Amino acid sequence: MSDGIIRIRDLARRYVMGQETVQALRGVSLEIRRNEYVAIMGPSGSGKSTMMNVLGCLDTPTSGEYWLNGHEVSRLSDDALARVRNKEIGFVFQTFNLLPRASALSNVELPLVYAGMRTRERRERAAAALERVGLANRMDHRPNELSGGQRQRVAIARALVNQPSILLADEPTGNLDSVTSEEIMRTFAELHGQGQTVVMVTHEPDIAAHAARVVVLRDGRVESDRSTERAAA
Amino acid sequence: MPLSEALRLALDAIWSSKLRSFFTLLGIIVSVAFLVVVVALIQGMNAYVRENLTGAVIGINAFQVRRTPISVGLLSDDEVRAIAKRPLISADDAAAVAAALPGARAVALQSGWPTPVSDVSYRDRLVGDVPIFGVTPPYQIVQDYRFAAGDGLADPDVRERRYVTVLGYEVASKLFDDPGAAVGKHVRIAGREVTVKGVVAAKGRVLGQSFDGFALVPFSTFESMYGRRKTTVVSVKMADAAEVAPAMDRAEEAMRVAHRLRPGEPDDFTVDKADALVAFWRDLTRVLFTAIPAVVCIGIVVGGIVIMNIMLMSVNERTREIGLRKSLGARRSDIRRQFLIESVVLAFLGGVIGVAGGWAFAGLMSVVTPLPARITAWSVGVALALGAGTGIVFGVYPASRAARLDPITALRAE
Repeated sequence: MSDGIIRIRDLARRYVMGQETVQALRGVSLEIRRNEYVAIMGPSGSGKSTMMNVLGCLDTPTSGEYWLNGHEVSRLSDDALARVRNKEIGFVFQTFNLLPRASALSNVELPLVYAGMRTRERRERAAAALERVGLANRMDHRPNELSGGQRQRVAIARALVNQPSILLADEPTGNLDSVTSEEIMRTFAELHGQGQTVVMVTHEPDIAAHAARVVVLRDGRVESDRSTERAAA
Repeated sequence: MPLSEALRLALDAIWSSKLRSFFTLLGIIVSVAFLVVVVALIQGMNAYVRENLTGAVIGINAFQVRRTPISVGLLSDDEVRAIAKRPLISADDAAAVAAALPGARAVALQSGWPTPVSDVSYRDRLVGDVPIFGVTPPYQIVQDYRFAAGDGLADPDVRERRYVTVLGYEVASKLFDDPGAAVGKHVRIAGREVTVKGVVAAKGRVLGQSFDGFALVPFSTFESMYGRRKTTVVSVKMADAAEVAPAMDRAEEAMRVAHRLRPGEPDDFTVDKADALVAFWRDLTRVLFTAIPAVVCIGIVVGGIVIMNIMLMSVNERTREIGLRKSLGARRSDIRRQFLIESVVLAFLGGVIGVAGGWAFAGLMSVVTPLPARITAWSVGVALALGAGTGIVFGVYPASRAARLDPITALRAE
């Protein structure tokens, strides 16, 4: 066993849509080690969304193996997958996906609620996570009282709060202007610097360039997998 | 997710769309309020009938020997036919009963149902539709009448068929500004001149019905004015409640002897006490009590379907939120519980509002109308349980729909 936190072997995912069968992933093998910063790229239809869903345990592969943090997770039940998502994965979405009526603090607490943590500990952990992303003074604000960059940082705090094995970001800067995008990318770089494993799905080369390693998918297969020069800038 | 968290979420969701929640609950609110109000009114009437009406109509510690039972309304045709063959109650019967009950405070004969009504006039004043009762003097004891002026009817009035009357307080005060001035005056009842002997002190109103709007005439005078009634009643008043039951048994024996009934032959008369009136009322309300659940059930089912629809709508609107929660680690059971609790809290709230509304309405009714109302704990309990139960039954489907949502599709929803 290596220190691969994600180990994928021969992963395939087929969808049956009416009479057609769509081959979204056709045998992908990939290993991501602890504290790597990986960008997954590819044009639309390359299978990167499916890849993201499988990596995030939102979807299960049709065949192949997926080991996450030493556990085989490709054949788990719905509830077991929910548990894995809760403990091992921190999602950051393009559209932030914050609950509009809840404060920043409550939003960040959410994964801990499903982890069954007591209120007081939850509050402390969520507050600490918000501090980590520089929003200590915005805890009681609702999403609509925050800027886009701040909202995404609340989402990042929420992703981090349960100390996941991987931070999984899906086009995290897709809804942000370029200045704010840079700010978010700096946050990712800092987290990576602190030892966090980051996997980011994007179609923007500028954004992918922030990662230390870029995996390009095409037609459901890995087209290229290389380290970049600007690693951990 | 802990229960407290789910409750907080549910209240938050309901509160965030107050108006919609309220309209969603209208069906439940109305049904529950209806239940509470109707039960309160029936219970209030029950208590009222027991406490006031029976005392006023039959007399306290009193019973009656009648040709027809009090609860005549609920008899079968056969029973009605059998009763039609019964002999009339006569003055001899009253005498027989009186002889059998030396301890009775009073044994009276009174004209029965239907009581005739007549205009009573004095000079240019007239009181319309006054019930005229033909009675023997002990009737005034049975009814515990006290006299505001003058005297009651006496035996010679009956014996000599005198045209005299005792007026209820209301009649007297309408005809004469001072009811005391009525005594000795000549009033006209059914076209005949009748002398006022006395005025009965006010008894007040029961169920909005005045018990002071009547005129008593001697039993014999009554018969010459209106003919013989087929429903003449013997009223007996005992000194206290414990004597009533044994006295009724003795009256029954005396009546059987007087009517020359053989052993085994059924009574051709009825001995009823105030309880019979209460029982009659109960029979009536039992009919109501069987109708209420049907009406309430229809309301609740309609209300429940509305809740189900609104919950489905809410699941639809919050698809993305459900996807997000699932991606953050919510299991199916967490989502199911969240939505189920929301619908239960919603429906329970409807129950609470309905009970409060019904309570207020019943209270208002008893203030502005003569109808009494009595809120009972069980109707409130049933109402609240119905509310919560509706939430569970009609919340299951939307909740399981939410729980089964695929997180990927849900996250992508608009």
